[in-house]
Amino acid sequence: MKSIRRCLHIITLFLIVFIAGMGYLVYVINRDAPFYMMHSDHLQLGMVYDRTGDVLFDGMGKGTYEDGHFLDFGNLIGDEKGQMDNTLVARNIDKLNNYSFSEGLVREGGKAAIYTTLDHYANRQVYNAFGGAKGCAVAYNYKTGEVLVCTSLPSIDVTKGYENVADMESGTLISKVMYGTVPGSTQKVSTVLSALEIMGVDALYAKRFSCSGQYINKTGKPIDCHQGWGHGEQDIQQAVENSCNPFFAQLIEDDDMPLEQIIEKYRRLGYAVNDDKPTYFDIDGIDCFRASTTLTDKYEFSTQWGCIGQGDTLVSPMQLMMWQSAIANGTGKMTMPRIIDRVSDVYGDISSVSTVEFSEEIFSPSSASTMKQILLTNGANHYQYSIPGFTVGIKSGTAQVKEGAEENALLVGFVDDQRKPIAFCVLLENKYSTPVTAEGIVTTLLNSLG
Amino acid sequence: MSNPVSFVFSSAFVIIAHAAMLLNVYSSGQFTDVKDFAILAAAVVAMDIVVTILMLTFGQHAHTADFILLLILGASVIFQSCFGGVSFAKKHFITCIAALASCRVGYLLCRDYKWLQTKKKFIWAAIGIMMIVILTLTGSRSMWIDLGFMTIQPSEFIKPLLILACATSIQEQQNKHKILKFDIVYENLILFGIVAAVCLLQWWCRDLGSIPTFAAIYASGFLLRICYPKAKFSTKTLIFAGAAVAAAAVVGIMFAPAYVKERLFADIWNDTSGSGYQQTQALIAVADGGWFGKGPGKGELCNIFAHESDIVFATISEEWGLLFAVMTVLMLLLLVAIPLVNPPRSYFHGTMCAGVCAAFTVQMALNIFGSCNLIPFTGVTLPFIAEGGSSMATSGFMAGMIVAAQSPVIRKIKPKKSAKTAKSRKKGGKAA
Repeated sequence: MKSIRRCLHIITLFLIVFIAGMGYLVYVINRDAPFYMMHSDHLQLGMVYDRTGDVLFDGMGKGTYEDGHFLDFGNLIGDEKGQMDNTLVARNIDKLNNYSFSEGLVREGGKAAIYTTLDHYANRQVYNAFGGAKGCAVAYNYKTGEVLVCTSLPSIDVTKGYENVADMESGTLISKVMYGTVPGSTQKVSTVLSALEIMGVDALYAKRFSCSGQYINKTGKPIDCHQGWGHGEQDIQQAVENSCNPFFAQLIEDDDMPLEQIIEKYRRLGYAVNDDKPTYFDIDGIDCFRASTTLTDKYEFSTQWGCIGQGDTLVSPMQLMMWQSAIANGTGKMTMPRIIDRVSDVYGDISSVSTVEFSEEIFSPSSASTMKQILLTNGANHYQYSIPGFTVGIKSGTAQVKEGAEENALLVGFVDDQRKPIAFCVLLENKYSTPVTAEGIVTTLLNSLG
Repeated sequence: MSNPVSFVFSSAFVIIAHAAMLLNVYSSGQFTDVKDFAILAAAVVAMDIVVTILMLTFGQHAHTADFILLLILGASVIFQSCFGGVSFAKKHFITCIAALASCRVGYLLCRDYKWLQTKKKFIWAAIGIMMIVILTLTGSRSMWIDLGFMTIQPSEFIKPLLILACATSIQEQQNKHKILKFDIVYENLILFGIVAAVCLLQWWCRDLGSIPTFAAIYASGFLLRICYPKAKFSTKTLIFAGAAVAAAAVVGIMFAPAYVKERLFADIWNDTSGSGYQQTQALIAVADGGWFGKGPGKGELCNIFAHESDIVFATISEEWGLLFAVMTVLMLLLLVAIPLVNPPRSYFHGTMCAGVCAAFTVQMALNIFGSCNLIPFTGVTLPFIAEGGSSMATSGFMAGMIVAAQSPVIRKIKPKKSAKTAKSRKKGGKAA
């Protein structure tokens, strides 16, 4: 009998292993069924709302909306059609799935929804403020990370389909906020922060360099200033306010600014330097380009030009804005942006709520504090009238693109007001082709954010 | 099944279970003509009644396993008749009858192990013939023989033969021969040679799904053989055997051809319209069905190739719900678990039951877990549920092996209390 029991042990072993496998299978199916259904042809998607409950995406397609209702957020929110991959809906389609394993597909009354931090009213105002010009604008609360405005032009009304996709203008199907652009002189914020980190506040303020309209660097290449007759001798505050290229070229060449340390500080800021692998920020599933630049020889034109904001340097408007949060907060830590505030499941129960998150320290609080003062002084001295009613720390930039054929205007900054802690970045493409100004867009943006 | 109460209860249970399923088909199934449903219902009920009456004539030779098999086969006919709309699956019904007959044949052939031991050479020869048939008639990239009116999968027939080969060689374990420092049993070498040849042949046919089944049958037989006649497993031997299997698996994966590796590590969701098509559609169907299904005949997986065989678990899940699909699997497990309740009559029968259990559980695992992407998808049939005559016949035969292994019911005769004992107890009671 004992020997027969051995046969039963073998049978038991097979059965236990199989039953365990079945148990695991049921668990996996129950867990992943919503994912499986995402690949079904019978998808039932829910809604995306802004912070006031206004509809930004209607997965059921049963609502009625005014013409162009979805236009200003078209390439950020996107849809499920697959034409735009890097959008909120495309990257979070599982959260909009009106399905549960026990209920199956809920065709009527499903309550799966994403509640965003976005402000549709303000976004529409900013979109209109571009007046048909191309570019993008982004703004968020630098205390909480809630993205309020994120518009990119040209955009698309997703409810009208993609029949004319071949005729669409370049950049229509992406949110430019998330992609790299030539930062122009807004890059000087990074260079000043690096200099503050390397040599300290006192040493940097002691540096004075002269500008006569053009500086011939140590390898014999000219660095032109936008002001042909020059700025004369300046300190760092004046150089930032004047956005003086020769000053910054000389600062890079300075013996107190070793290239290795510049590279290290840039990397800490989040740049992919030289051959570093390009990476992305994950903003609620949306890939946001991380800055990149080439720094090889500090006496070479290309390296200096990169630190000034041209050359190979690329930064996304989102990241330019995030650096402003680290300055405005005075902590040297970026407030991580978030578009999704909370998510409800098919029954309407809140399944996840986002929380405030900060990056690691990318520069010291003392550097943040000094930079903040520099930008606030710049704002007070130069933007008091063009952006009235707000105490802003700000830096402008002009980026030459298309081999100098066009110039883009950039403005990055923050409002120094605890009741309205807004950081922003505006990119106005081909600024000479439009009467609209970046300052005007920023003013509209700040005014429309109640 | 000599107890009339058990017989009545078992028969009633089977008929009521099938009636409940048919009621579900009638109330929530999809059919355009009620005649389709009526034919299905009549066929299933007729099968239940006829088989039950036949079992009455078997008397002591009818066992619980027979009723479980009838329960499974009736359910199988209902499932297969509902895929994509209710319509009686005549061909499947016939194969189910063949499975019942095959079960009886298996029972009759395997109940007398002494007789079967004498036919060992014939079993080996039958395996050899099947291998020659495969070599000559199926071709190197196929596993089927097309007879025009039907197709046969000869590798299926090797499964019960291999179980019998393993079981009949048990006694030879006592005839050890000292060669160098090793105790060698010649039949072990022969068996190993047979299994290796069968597996190589399956590889040649690209019937990779059958290899784990053969390996499992051999492994269960091997484990029971290496310990015979001792009552305990040797830990050292087990560890050595386990290590050898693990090492073989690692080496096998390392040196596997590209197409095998592709199957092993494929991400089906990256190729939903290509190699991952069947599995992704199966999983979507399971998800769509939920716990309770969309209703008999209301599934859409029926439009996918092999919905009635390779991915049949998902097809059932979609229409009847995951809960019912799991219950169906439990019914199959119940069949192979019978020896745990009613122990086999001999070590031979125990080995045979272990082999059948290995074959069924591995086949079920390959089919269910493969179609649901837990393991590589190999396209093995689900015993008794999937469509396929060869599979049905051999599965029925293997069920017959389990029936053959069941001990006859022996009633305990209560000893009559003798007057003397009663008297002494009475006295004791007074003394207390």
